Amino acid sequence: MMLLALVLVPLIVGTLLFALPAAAQTLSRVIGVVASLATVVLVLAARGDDWSVRWLSRPFTAAFHLGLSGLSFWLALLLTVVTLSAIVACNASARRDLIAQLLFLEGTMLGLFLARDLLLFALFWDAMLLPVFFTLLARASHVTTAWRYFLYNFAGGLALLLATAAFGVLFGSTDVIGQAGVHVIGAWAPWILGGFALAFLVKTPVFPLHTWMPLTYADTPPAMVAVVSAVQSKAGLYGFIVIGLAFFPDYMKAYAGIFLVLGAISLIYGALAALAQSDTKRIVAYSSLSHLGLILIAIFSFNTIALQGAGLYLIAHGIFSAALFLVLGFVEEREETRSLTHLGGLGALNPRLAGALCIAALAALGLPGLAGFAGELLIITGIFQSGLLWAALLALIPIVLAAAYMLRLFQGVMNGPQRSDLPIRADLSWREGIALAPLVLALLALGTIPGALLQTVIK
Amino acid sequence: MIHHVMGVDGTYPLLLTLWLLPLLGGVLCWAFGPQLKTAAGWLASGALLASFVLTIVAWPTATQNLNGAVGAHQALVSWMPGFDFGLLFDPLSLIWTCIITGVGFLIHLYSIGYMHGDRAFARFFAFLNFFVFAMLTLVLSDNFAGLLIGWGLVGLASYFLIGFWFEKPSAVAAARKAFVINVVGDIAIMMAIFIMIAKVGSVGYGDVFSHVAAFGPTLFAVCVCLFIGAAAKSAQLPLHTWLPDAMEGPTPVSALIHAATMVTAGVYLIARCAPLWNASPDAQLLVGTVGGLTALVGAILGTAQWDIKRILAYSTMSQIGYMIMGVGVGAYEGGVAHFFTHAFFKAQLFLGSGIVIHALANEQDVRRMGGLRKKLPFAFFAMLIGVLAICGLPGLSGSFSKDAVIQGALEHGHPWLYVVGVVTAGITAYYMFRMLFLTFTGAHRGEIDPSHLGMRHPELVGTPHGDSHSEHHHAPAWLMNVPVAILIVPTIAAGWLLFGGGASWWATFFATTFAPETLPAAPISEMATTGIVLLIVALGFLVAYLRYGRMGDAKAAAEKLRMETVHAFPALTNAFYFDAALDALFVRPAAWLGALSAQILDPHIIDGAVREIVHLARSLGNGVRAVQSGLLRAYVLLVVGGAVVFIAYYTLIGVHR
Repeated sequence: MMLLALVLVPLIVGTLLFALPAAAQTLSRVIGVVASLATVVLVLAARGDDWSVRWLSRPFTAAFHLGLSGLSFWLALLLTVVTLSAIVACNASARRDLIAQLLFLEGTMLGLFLARDLLLFALFWDAMLLPVFFTLLARASHVTTAWRYFLYNFAGGLALLLATAAFGVLFGSTDVIGQAGVHVIGAWAPWILGGFALAFLVKTPVFPLHTWMPLTYADTPPAMVAVVSAVQSKAGLYGFIVIGLAFFPDYMKAYAGIFLVLGAISLIYGALAALAQSDTKRIVAYSSLSHLGLILIAIFSFNTIALQGAGLYLIAHGIFSAALFLVLGFVEEREETRSLTHLGGLGALNPRLAGALCIAALAALGLPGLAGFAGELLIITGIFQSGLLWAALLALIPIVLAAAYMLRLFQGVMNGPQRSDLPIRADLSWREGIALAPLVLALLALGTIPGALLQTVIK
Repeated sequence: MIHHVMGVDGTYPLLLTLWLLPLLGGVLCWAFGPQLKTAAGWLASGALLASFVLTIVAWPTATQNLNGAVGAHQALVSWMPGFDFGLLFDPLSLIWTCIITGVGFLIHLYSIGYMHGDRAFARFFAFLNFFVFAMLTLVLSDNFAGLLIGWGLVGLASYFLIGFWFEKPSAVAAARKAFVINVVGDIAIMMAIFIMIAKVGSVGYGDVFSHVAAFGPTLFAVCVCLFIGAAAKSAQLPLHTWLPDAMEGPTPVSALIHAATMVTAGVYLIARCAPLWNASPDAQLLVGTVGGLTALVGAILGTAQWDIKRILAYSTMSQIGYMIMGVGVGAYEGGVAHFFTHAFFKAQLFLGSGIVIHALANEQDVRRMGGLRKKLPFAFFAMLIGVLAICGLPGLSGSFSKDAVIQGALEHGHPWLYVVGVVTAGITAYYMFRMLFLTFTGAHRGEIDPSHLGMRHPELVGTPHGDSHSEHHHAPAWLMNVPVAILIVPTIAAGWLLFGGGASWWATFFATTFAPETLPAAPISEMATTGIVLLIVALGFLVAYLRYGRMGDAKAAAEKLRMETVHAFPALTNAFYFDAALDALFVRPAAWLGALSAQILDPHIIDGAVREIVHLARSLGNGVRAVQSGLLRAYVLLVVGGAVVFIAYYTLIGVHR
């Protein structure tokens, strides 16, 4: 029951928020913080739980089946912590609707990661599009972005739904996530895998299906894009691990070449594109393309060390990309621009803001001792061990590029002479510091003692 | 598998304390900077002094020998199989720890005076202490992954301190350049780690060194990867271009990080991996050659610099070239000894130049100096000793270690490197005395208009290069003089530890670290080498004296310097075009490809294709047009449509699965 509560609490509280008057901004923020804090507690309390209700018996068996263990526990924990941070980071001008949509987003994604049934997984997959879509749609200038986000991801969602249906018909049950020994074979199997893969590749995203992402990340409010980039982008990779690797291992291996090449292109393409951006959020967006491409390669190298590294890096990337987007949001709130050509020299008067951006950027560029490094090291170790020498060598190049674009981002915002044309605002507030604190602590902990996570993340 | 551990296993609280104290000091300075004010400097220095004292107290544990396990091994944490972290305190890490904490303490003390009045005084000491912690992590780690963590963290500390005055665009650019080039080294070491994991299954020093045979033909690849890492950190060709730019940092930083300690990490790495290099003669030849070339190129470029700190930077590059050449050819004791003595005399030279820069209100261009001997007698004396030591005047520290490297090259069968070493010694004498004459002798040229000295863009070439902190704050002079005075002692005397050849204290100390080897007698004896080097050095001195030692009055000197500036070889003023080449080969292509993907491929090619598909779909008719006709309706329609398809499938085919 705790698992059901975990999914329902944010959804119900989110709905109730709409009952509040739109002017009750402070109240809605407080309610949002309490609700998301409750989900963090619930995730920690419900670890290892499993809860199931029979749902469909025809045309195939399906169950409302939730479980919380292994990788899904860590992703759920990441999601709830990042959501909490994001809501705490919302300033007084955040509208009631944003808080409500953040809770919807949390609830639908918790459903996704907890789902132990493919049909349930597919339904939550489509549902989690809506909060972002409606939030974007609310701003007239972002309507194009909203539709682009929706159409790309819905096309993927449709493929996922069809693949799920076919899976159910072929196998007789969709209540299979987390079960060992489920292997789908036959003439239809590659097509089913293809349907899943299309959805996963769009969601991650992977080249050449990525062009919705820089726009979406740039236009979505910082609090929401922190959650989207930290957690929603992991849904596809999570799917490849719990669905692809588990049910279609042979076909995954047979078609690995395609995914390895797409991952490798994303890896390099994203890093190069990040070098050329002048919008701070788009730099992080393209860096995400690069980093998640690395995880895709890790999954398709079929190596235990690489897979453990992938699990670690999924979480690490979630934390540092959330931290980056939140801090860049703070900068944008203060200076009313995201352009590196206008920003600069903020560090002198905002040492705490500079420190926060610095730590997030360093984790993103894979500084040894922070979370990103441990993941990258394990992933490339595994890739190398699996015999993919070309992929291992290729994976090293973006580390150098990441140093260049992340420092360019940090220095472009914080260093250089103070700009007289920028408004002078207060340094990082207590509220903003508290929002970032759990993320920064997690980056340090995962960098120095990743063992605790590694032992449980991939069995 | 069996774990091969170097060092006696146990719990060593002293070792842990001396490792963590600088971290604690750094965190305190960082967190309580505004409250601590100038006390931050004393706190940070105190942490280092304590660390140094503990190093001396813990000395016996580093030299203990229990059944062949030399030193102390302290286990820490385990990431996963193959990645076990721990500390190793043996003679090699002991020597580095002594220099890091000892010379580090003196430079901290000096910084209290030098940085007095800086707006971010406490932050400076936080970074400096953090650097020491990172450097200790590097040299105390018992495995390659831990070394890599230290390797990356010293790079970060270096980045912070090069860009310490981050409002200066040149400092910001220099910091980024240093960091990015060092990441190139980091990924090379990562590559070596991958091979180790694949071949040995562990990154522990003990495991790797006891399974050298397991590498087979990949051993050379491992050595090359490690050496690329060493070259990036230790400014070896062609990855040296960041070091001269790194002089943008405050002078104590140049002394500690970019002369005495961090830039010698490559020497440490190769000395640590002696078992690998001993098994790969190709790698030895490669490293020895690159080291020798770096020594030569650094010295040649040093002759063409006008900025006193850039002269010292190229000198550092050249001297590290000597060390790398030494450890590369297999003369480990000589190479490490040159690190040891260089740390003293180069720190002293940098700190001496800091006194000059401080006294001249941040002037760094030697063309605008001259005649400072009377004004700054102590700085002159200290730098004179340093110059004599680096040139290798017999009896001073530099001569012992440099001759050991040069002679080592010959003994290990590399006569060409011997010649390079001797020639470089002569050039070294030339550019060091050139600096000394230009700075301290002759007439003072500070009042001469920069354009009369050939400095066409004084705002680019001259003063603003300097440290940008206010000159109005003057700390007591003794704070800067005392550390320099203390450094004079080892600058003169440290070399005597090498006296006595194979029976010297130094050789005995490292007897268990580097396997002693019997080499055929060299065709030239040690005494003869010392004589030859001395002769060449005297020649270098003579040329420097003739050109810069008697330049007449200020006007005549200025005219000579103007002529020299105007007629300088373009190849030298452009530092042999290394920067331009790296820029053309890597930086600009990356920027170009980035612009291509972001401005052409993404918006026009990929999106263009998608737009075409959408247009095609739209023209197909009503069904798809509904997408535009109302958002909720379209969504429901699509979901229902999907459902219809699979129910239809089920009813038609799906009964028998």
